[in-house]
Amino acid sequence: MTQTGSAPSQWVPVALSNMIEAGTSAGTVVNDAEIVVWRDTAGKAHAWEDRCPHRGMKMSFGFVRGDHIACLYHGWEYDTSGTCQYVPAHPELEVPKSICISRYGTTETGGMIWAYTPLGTLEQDSPPDLPALEGVRSVYIDAPVAQVSGALEQHGSTPAGNNETNSNFTTVKLESTVVTVGLQQISEGRCALHIAVPQDTTIATREALLDWCEDLRRSVEQLEAAA
Amino acid sequence: MILHNYDLYEDCFRVRLLASCTEQSLELVNVNAFPGAEEKSAPYLKLNPLGRLPILEDGELCLRNLSAILIYVAEQDAQKRFIPKDSAERARMMDWLGFACQDLSVATEARAVALLDAPGDVAVLRAKARQLFRILDDHLTRQSLRGEIYVAGKSPSLADIALFPAFALCRDFNLDHDEFPAARLWARQIRTLPGFITMPGIPDYH
Repeated sequence: MTQTGSAPSQWVPVALSNMIEAGTSAGTVVNDAEIVVWRDTAGKAHAWEDRCPHRGMKMSFGFVRGDHIACLYHGWEYDTSGTCQYVPAHPELEVPKSICISRYGTTETGGMIWAYTPLGTLEQDSPPDLPALEGVRSVYIDAPVAQVSGALEQHGSTPAGNNETNSNFTTVKLESTVVTVGLQQISEGRCALHIAVPQDTTIATREALLDWCEDLRRSVEQLEAAA
Repeated sequence: MILHNYDLYEDCFRVRLLASCTEQSLELVNVNAFPGAEEKSAPYLKLNPLGRLPILEDGELCLRNLSAILIYVAEQDAQKRFIPKDSAERARMMDWLGFACQDLSVATEARAVALLDAPGDVAVLRAKARQLFRILDDHLTRQSLRGEIYVAGKSPSLADIALFPAFALCRDFNLDHDEFPAARLWARQIRTLPGFITMPGIPDYH
């Protein structure tokens, strides 16, 4: 919930597109700010502050109904603009428009869902320009994002971002496959990698990539634990 | 079959969930486990000297070991729907059943410390449980790549039923589902099984 004042405005990958099915929600964290990522039943992805204004419950614990997301505690329902539309305890009530949840700019590209952070920043920069890709897995690592980036560079990664706002991804070549890695800083000591590949990548290559992910996580965390 | 039950214990829920998904009825005897510690009273120690729940009775039979209870109930199902017929798949199921009933007992313990005043260090137990859910999430990621969404194969098995409560309830000891996307998708599938039931702590999205 707290945010680092100095964090630059940027697009951050928060989930793989195929891990957030229509009608579902999940929680995540970017630079210590809790975010709910959800997809309405029409298929559009949303990233919001993960807190119901009523009692502070995490919206990611709640459930999606059509194009509304509802809080688990008391069922308050919010539409895609973040505005509360329905309070079950007072079904007759016309809900004041002031009850709403803050939203992040949200887009999908390269098989990932991206949020424009920090909260409240107007969307100024265009999202990363990535080809159509398919998510393989997200891997969560107990190490600073910089350390993981360093490990990726040893694997020959090439930062694909050309300015500060879309530097949160890189590419690594695994045999002949170009693997796109979205980098999400969760907190100072934790990060997530969202791994995506071209759609025609074989199952064998994807399995090798899963081994690679687990090895990377193990080696980086061992280094971090030894430090 | 009589289940000596406490509603808030996930191990008791595992048995209730299995019975419900296999369309079998259980006679529930509710035990005042918290705060009464009735499972440690003299009559209960006669049934289970280990002083633990669940206990399953069926005629002369009295079972106290969680996996023994689960296998017995799954075999009483005329269709034996959660016991794979293929021997390799059945062995994989037993492998993950062991993971659920033995290894993941740290998650049960973490939850008991967080909610029910059990002794122990919740931070240490949480860290151990997190490592185990990582193993589950890694495995389920591989499974889905092979087109197999359940832990032992393409169909839900006893192992999935035994694993689900631990994952669904881990928020009770402050371990979020954020880091386990494959397990999240898998848990959604379990929720759609015919006969699926919830318990306190597992939301019913009605």
